[in-house]
Amino acid sequence: MSEGLVRTAIAPKNPLLNASRVGNLPHVPGIRVGEYIFLSGMVPVDTQTGERSLGPIAEQVRITLSNMQHTLESAGSSLERVVRVHVVLADIANLTEMDRIYREFFRVDPPARMVWSMQLRFGNGCEIECVALAA
Amino acid sequence: MSVRRKIVSSPHDARGVGTSAAASEAVRGGDFLFVSGLTATDPQSGMRMPGTTASETRQILSNLKQLLKRAGSSFDKIVKVNVLLHSMLEAPNMNEVHVQFFPDPPPARTVCGARLPDGMKVMIECTALA
Repeated sequence: MSEGLVRTAIAPKNPLLNASRVGNLPHVPGIRVGEYIFLSGMVPVDTQTGERSLGPIAEQVRITLSNMQHTLESAGSSLERVVRVHVVLADIANLTEMDRIYREFFRVDPPARMVWSMQLRFGNGCEIECVALAA
Repeated sequence: MSVRRKIVSSPHDARGVGTSAAASEAVRGGDFLFVSGLTATDPQSGMRMPGTTASETRQILSNLKQLLKRAGSSFDKIVKVNVLLHSMLEAPNMNEVHVQFFPDPPPARTVCGARLPDGMKVMIECTALA
């Protein structure tokens, strides 16, 4: 165990976006360790109802990234501090449409990114996770 | 804003021509360098080089070597590699090339089968010490 490094769970201020707790799942929304924050994979969740919001892919990506922004900011970080993103799509054909919305959130000096497609649960069109600098 | 975050970019972007400007080739954050998912491209023309799993792997790792060098890192500083393949049946073909590039001991690695953009067969990303 490295001396001095502490592992702390973080959570979004909006409790409805705490998918881990809402779903009683064995993970947390994110972990802060040292100067980093590692977020769990996030899917489109409605900020008002806490339910999955499975509209068009553009809308799903916008909701997911907006919730990611909220979760990071709840922990004192921000989208500008994100260093690496994983975008998983249910359908790789949605790549261009995902990209269009993604750029709205990362306009300048965007993070490193890997995008691919594989099976997602519950009909989610996207699942996005990131690593960010904590401050 | 943290001064510990730095974009790594170059005229010879290892991701090639037509790559989405929505992402950076690599980003330094703190003590680590985060490299974007790379597919096989010609470093001179930037054109994609679709081929076999082995040839794409070789091209990606060769480009990655140059990218790491430009960023002040190297293969022996890689801590984790994520490899995506269009078919897990091709894993041995990727492995054969992989071992030629990495020092002993090699980094931690995950390999998954996935659908990749533009019909490419291999995509590789890594996290390295900066």
